[in-house]
Amino acid sequence: MNVLTPTETEWPALRERAASWPFQAVLVANRGEIAVRVLRTVQRLGLKGIVVYHAADRGTAAVRLADEAVEITGETPVGAYLDGAQIIRVAQAAGAGAIHPGYGFLSENKGFCEAVEAAGMRFIGPTPEQIDLMGDKVRARNFVEKAGFPVAPSAIEDDDPKTFVERSRQVGAPLLIKPSAGGGGKGMRIVRDLSLLEQEIERGRSEGQRYFGDGRLYCERYIENPRHIEVQVLGDGQGGVVHVFERECSVQRRFQKIVEETPSPALDDAKRREICETAAGIARSIGYRNAGTVEFIFGQSGEFYFLEMNTRLQVEHPVTEEITGIDLVLQQLRVAAGEKLGCTQDDVKAQGHSIELRIYAEDAARGYTPTTGPILVLHPPQGEGVRWDSGVLHGGEVTSAFDPMIAKLIIRGADRAEAIARADKALKDTVLLGCKTNTAFLRRLIAHPAFIAGDVHTGFLDANPQIAAEPVLATETLQALLAAASLSTRPMRDVADAVPDMHAAMGSWRN
Amino acid sequence: MKRIESRLNTASAEFQANAEHNRRLAAEFRDKQEKVRHARPQRDIDRLRSQNKLLVRERLDLLLDPGTPFLEFSSLAANEAYGGEVPAAACVTGIGIVSGREVVINAGDASVKGGAWYPLTVKKTVRALDIAIENRLPVVHLCDSAGGFLPLQADLFADKYMAGRIFRNQCMLSKMGVQQVSVVLGHCTAGGAYVPGLSDYNVIVRGTGAIFLAGPPLVKAATGEDVSVDELGGCDMHTSVSGTADYPAGSEEEAIAIARDIVAQFKRPQKAHTEWQEPEAPYYDAGELYGILPRDIKAQFDMKEVIARLVDGSRFHEYQPNYGKTLICGYAHLWGYKIGILANNGVLFNDSALKGAHFIELCNQGRTPIVFLQNITGFMVGKEYERRGITKDGAKMIMAVSNCEVPKFTVMCHGSFGAGNYGMSGRAFDSRFLFSWPQSQTSVMGAEQAANTLADVKIRQLAKQGKQLSQADIDAIRDPVLGEFKRKQSAYYTTSEIWDDGMLDPVDTRNALGISISAALNTPIGDPRYGVFRM
Amino acid sequence: MHHAFKLGDDVHNVELSRSATAYRLHLGEQRIDIDLRTGADGRAWLTLGERHVEVVIATRGDEVFVHLDGEAYALRYQHPLDRLAAAAGGNAEDRILAPMPGSIVSVAVKAGDAVSKGQTLLVMESMKMETTIAAPRDGVIAEVTYEMGQTFDRDALLIALEAQK
Repeated sequence: MNVLTPTETEWPALRERAASWPFQAVLVANRGEIAVRVLRTVQRLGLKGIVVYHAADRGTAAVRLADEAVEITGETPVGAYLDGAQIIRVAQAAGAGAIHPGYGFLSENKGFCEAVEAAGMRFIGPTPEQIDLMGDKVRARNFVEKAGFPVAPSAIEDDDPKTFVERSRQVGAPLLIKPSAGGGGKGMRIVRDLSLLEQEIERGRSEGQRYFGDGRLYCERYIENPRHIEVQVLGDGQGGVVHVFERECSVQRRFQKIVEETPSPALDDAKRREICETAAGIARSIGYRNAGTVEFIFGQSGEFYFLEMNTRLQVEHPVTEEITGIDLVLQQLRVAAGEKLGCTQDDVKAQGHSIELRIYAEDAARGYTPTTGPILVLHPPQGEGVRWDSGVLHGGEVTSAFDPMIAKLIIRGADRAEAIARADKALKDTVLLGCKTNTAFLRRLIAHPAFIAGDVHTGFLDANPQIAAEPVLATETLQALLAAASLSTRPMRDVADAVPDMHAAMGSWRN
Repeated sequence: MKRIESRLNTASAEFQANAEHNRRLAAEFRDKQEKVRHARPQRDIDRLRSQNKLLVRERLDLLLDPGTPFLEFSSLAANEAYGGEVPAAACVTGIGIVSGREVVINAGDASVKGGAWYPLTVKKTVRALDIAIENRLPVVHLCDSAGGFLPLQADLFADKYMAGRIFRNQCMLSKMGVQQVSVVLGHCTAGGAYVPGLSDYNVIVRGTGAIFLAGPPLVKAATGEDVSVDELGGCDMHTSVSGTADYPAGSEEEAIAIARDIVAQFKRPQKAHTEWQEPEAPYYDAGELYGILPRDIKAQFDMKEVIARLVDGSRFHEYQPNYGKTLICGYAHLWGYKIGILANNGVLFNDSALKGAHFIELCNQGRTPIVFLQNITGFMVGKEYERRGITKDGAKMIMAVSNCEVPKFTVMCHGSFGAGNYGMSGRAFDSRFLFSWPQSQTSVMGAEQAANTLADVKIRQLAKQGKQLSQADIDAIRDPVLGEFKRKQSAYYTTSEIWDDGMLDPVDTRNALGISISAALNTPIGDPRYGVFRM
Repeated sequence: MHHAFKLGDDVHNVELSRSATAYRLHLGEQRIDIDLRTGADGRAWLTLGERHVEVVIATRGDEVFVHLDGEAYALRYQHPLDRLAAAAGGNAEDRILAPMPGSIVSVAVKAGDAVSKGQTLLVMESMKMETTIAAPRDGVIAEVTYEMGQTFDRDALLIALEAQK
C-alpha cells in the first residue's frame, strides 16, 4: 500500500490500520483554518475529532465540523489557547488519545509536549528534546553548525553577555537582532546604522521580554535581498527521514510570509537537490519525528544558510501537498501513532506548480495594518486547481483577538504561469465583504513583472511600495461604487423615495 | 378621450414669424430673470462672503431635495418699481420639495439692500403665506433681513395686507396645524423677530444669526445698556437661555441640514381625492406654443392648439362642442391629474357664459380642479345682447367662478380685458395660482380704446372752454395716456405689482400647473355651494 | 451637497434623487441615471447610464461594502448632520482615534491632566508592534476611553482633549 499518497480506493485499508492506532480520538488544540484542516484528515481516518474553542470562536467552521467541541476559557482569547493545563484536562475528559497542536500557540512548547505525554496521550509532533533544541535559535544554530551545515555569521548574547554589543558590531552591518526565544518575526529588528545598535538591542530586548518572557537576544548578518526558501521534511523518529521538496516564501511583509509557492523559481535541479538534502540531513542528524520545516536564507549568488527549523506543520504546507499529493497531516498522525514512514526519498514525487496566497484582514496601503469586521458575505472561489482553506464562515467576525489571517487560497497549475493565471481569477472571484482584506493587493502583487519573473526577495514589498498603495480609482469605478453605496444607504434612499412621483419625474426643473 | 387633431401648419410663414417673436419674448424674460437672480454689485456679494454667508440661491440649493423642481413665485416682482433697484422684491418665494414634502419657501435676499422689506417685499411674502394657507403647505423661512425699509414705512407697515399680515398668516398656519420652520441666517430684528418666534421650529446659526426686538444700538439709545449682538440675541443665548430658538448650528450648511431633518418629521397630508391616471407627455411639442401665439394682441388664435400642448397625450374631452363655441370647455389630464378646462376662443356671448357656468358646476360636482386659459376681450356688448341678458348670464358665470369649491388655476395666455377677466377667474377670484405669459396684457379695456376714451373726455373739456385742437394737440394728449396705459397692462407691470404669481415661459406652463395642482390638493375640497344665480 | 462617502482617505460628496423610472446620482455637476436590482443570492445588477455591472453589496451600520469587478471596497457613509456638526464643532485634533485595531499596552494620562504637544499619552499594540500615541497639541485630557489590556477597533476614540477656546 502506498502510504504516502494513498488513492481513494486505498483509504478504507488506511482506516482499518488507523483503527488499531494507540489513539482513536484526536483533540485539536488550535483554531481557525488549521483546526479545520487537521480535523478533516482525522475524520477521514475514522478517528474522532475534538476541538477546543474560546467563546470568541463559537460558531466558527472548526467548531461546527468537530465531532465534539469543548469551550475553554482564558483571560484573553489567545490566553485560552495557550493554557496547556486546561487543554490537557479537557482532552482527558473528552477521551482524547492524542493532541494535535496545529501551528502557533502550543505547537512548539516543550513543556506542553511533555505534559501531554505525561498525561498518557500522544503529542502529534516531535519529541520534547527536538522542540527544545530547535526552539532555541541559538542552540539550534550551534547544533547545525557543528553538524557541518551552513549558518550565517552571528553573535549570541548568552555566549558572553558582557561582550554581546561588541560582538554584534563585529558581525557587521547590516545585521538582524532577534529574540533567542522568538519566532514568527516578533521582536526582530534590522540595524543598518551601527550607531543605533545599542538602542535597537534595548528595544528588541523589551519586545522579547514582553512576547516571550525572555529578553535574551542574538544577532546575525543580515543578507541583503535574500530569498526565503524552506524545505519540508518528514521523519518517523525511527531513522526514516525524507524531504518533500522546497517552498519559496520570499514575498513577505512585516517579516511575515504572504505568498508561498513550490517549486521555487530560484532553484535549478542541482541547487534544489543540494538544499533539500541539506534539510533532510539536518532532520536526520537529530532523528527527527514529525513533519517539520528547515528554513534557509538564500543569497542572490546561490549561497544559503540555515535559519531555523520549525518542528510543526507550517501555514504554507498545502502547496507541498498540492504538488506531491501527500497529506502531511496524515503523515504526522501515522508517525505519532508509531508507524514508520515506509517510503524512500525516491517515492516522493512532485508535479506541477502550487501557490498559496494568504488572505489577511488587513489594509496593505496602511502599512498592512490589521482590519476587523464581520464577514457579511463570503463566496469562496471555485474552479479547477483552487483550494480554499479557511476557518471563517459567512456570519463570522474578524476580531483583533487573533491573527488576522482569514483564509489561504491554494492554487495548483500545470506550471507557474497557469498557477498565476488561476490565482488571479480565483482572487477576482473571491467575494468577502465586511472586512477589508488584501485580495486586491495580492492581485497587484502576482501581476507584478518581477513576481511573474520569479524575481523576488524578502524585501521585495518594501522595495516596491506601489504594490501596496491603493491605486487611483478609475472614474467609472468610483461612479459605480458611489452609485451602489448611495442606493444601499437608507438615509439617502429614503430622501429620494420620499419625493412624490411627479416631482421626481420633473427633475431639477426651474421656472 | 381622444387626441386633439392639431391644425397647425408649422411650416407656414405666420407660424414661423410668431415663433420667432415669442421666442424672443421668452428670451428677454429669461434674461431679465437671470439678472434679477444673479446680477448684484460685487460689494454686496463681498459683504455677504465676508460674513460667511451664502447667497440665497445657494441656500435654496442646499435646502431643496436634489433633482427636484422649484416653482418660483413672482420672480420679477418689483421689476417696474423702486427704479428697478429691488430685484424680485428682495426675496425668493416658491414651492419646492424638502425631505420629500411640498413646502412653501420664503427666503430673504440679503444681497439686495441687506434684505430690507419694501412694500412689494411684504406683498410677495404675504402672498406666499396666503398660498401656504390656501394649500396647507408647510413653510420654510430662510430669515436674513435688515428689517422694514424705513423711508417707505407708511406703505408697508400698518394696513390690513401689510407687514402685520405676515405674522397674522403665520399664526393662521399654526392654528391650521400647518408647520413652519425658520432658519435664522442673519439678524431678525423687531417685527422680523416674530418670523422665527411664530414658527413651530427654528434653527439659528452661531455667529451670524440673531433674534431681538431691538438691536444693540437701539438698546443703547433706549436704556443706555451696552450689549453685544451675541449676548442680546445670539445663537447660544437663545438656544440655551431664552428658548426663543430651538436648534443651534455651527454653519449655514448645518442649519439648513437641520431644517431639512425637521421637515422630514412633518406629517404628510392626506391629499384630496380627485381622478388621477398615469401621466403621459403631451403628444404635441410645447415648443410649438411659440408659433401659436400671435404677435398682435388683437389677433385671434385657436386655444385648442394651446390645450393640445399642455395636457397628457394631448387628449381632450370637449363638452358641448357645438354650443357657445367662443368658450371651449372640457376635461383633460395634466401630469395625471384630471382637470376641467375653460379656454377662450373669442368674446363671451350669452351661450358661452351659460356653458361656462354650467361646466364649472359639473367640475364641482365631479371634484375636478379647473384650469382657466384666458384670452378674453370681454363679454359681448350691444342692444341685442343686453336684451338677451348678457349681464345676467355673465353674472351667472361670475357667481359660479366665485363660489367654486374645487381649486382654480389661471393662465393669462394673451388678452385679459374687462369683465372677462372676472368671468375667467382673474386675480380677485382666488385662483390658487395665477401665471402670466410674457406677451399677455391685462386691463379694464384695450389700450387704444382706453386712450381714446380718456383723450375724448379731455378734448370735450377743452372744447367746452372753446379751444380748438389740432391733430398734433390731440396726439399730444392721447399718446402719453396710451403709453402709460400700455405699460400698466403689460405682463411685466402685472407681475411687478404681484397681480399674478409670476411670469411663465409658455413651455413651462405644464410643469407649473402640475406643481400647483399637486399643492392645491393638500386642502380638502368642499361640497358645491353657490349664491343666487340670476335666472 | 448633503451626503458623503468616505472611500479610503477621500471624501466624496454625492446626492441621490429619483427619476421617472429609477434614480439619479449627482456628482458635482454630473447626473448619472442609476438603478440597482438585487437577485436572490445577494448578487445585484447595477445600472449606470448605459453600463451594467454585477456587484455584491453588504451593509453594516454606516458602512457599505461593495464587490465590484473582482475587488472589494468599503465606503463609510457620513450623514450630513454628523459631518456638518463635526465641521462646525471644529477641531479634529480634539479626538484621538485609533490608527488601527489593537489593544492598550499602557496609559500614561488620566482625565484632567494637562499635556503638552508630543507627550506620550498611551502605548498601543497592534500587529505585534507597539505604537505610541502622542498629544497632537497642548491641552487638557477630557477623556480616556480604554484601560490597559482592552482591545479596540480602528477609528475607536482613544483619548479626547478638552476643546480649545
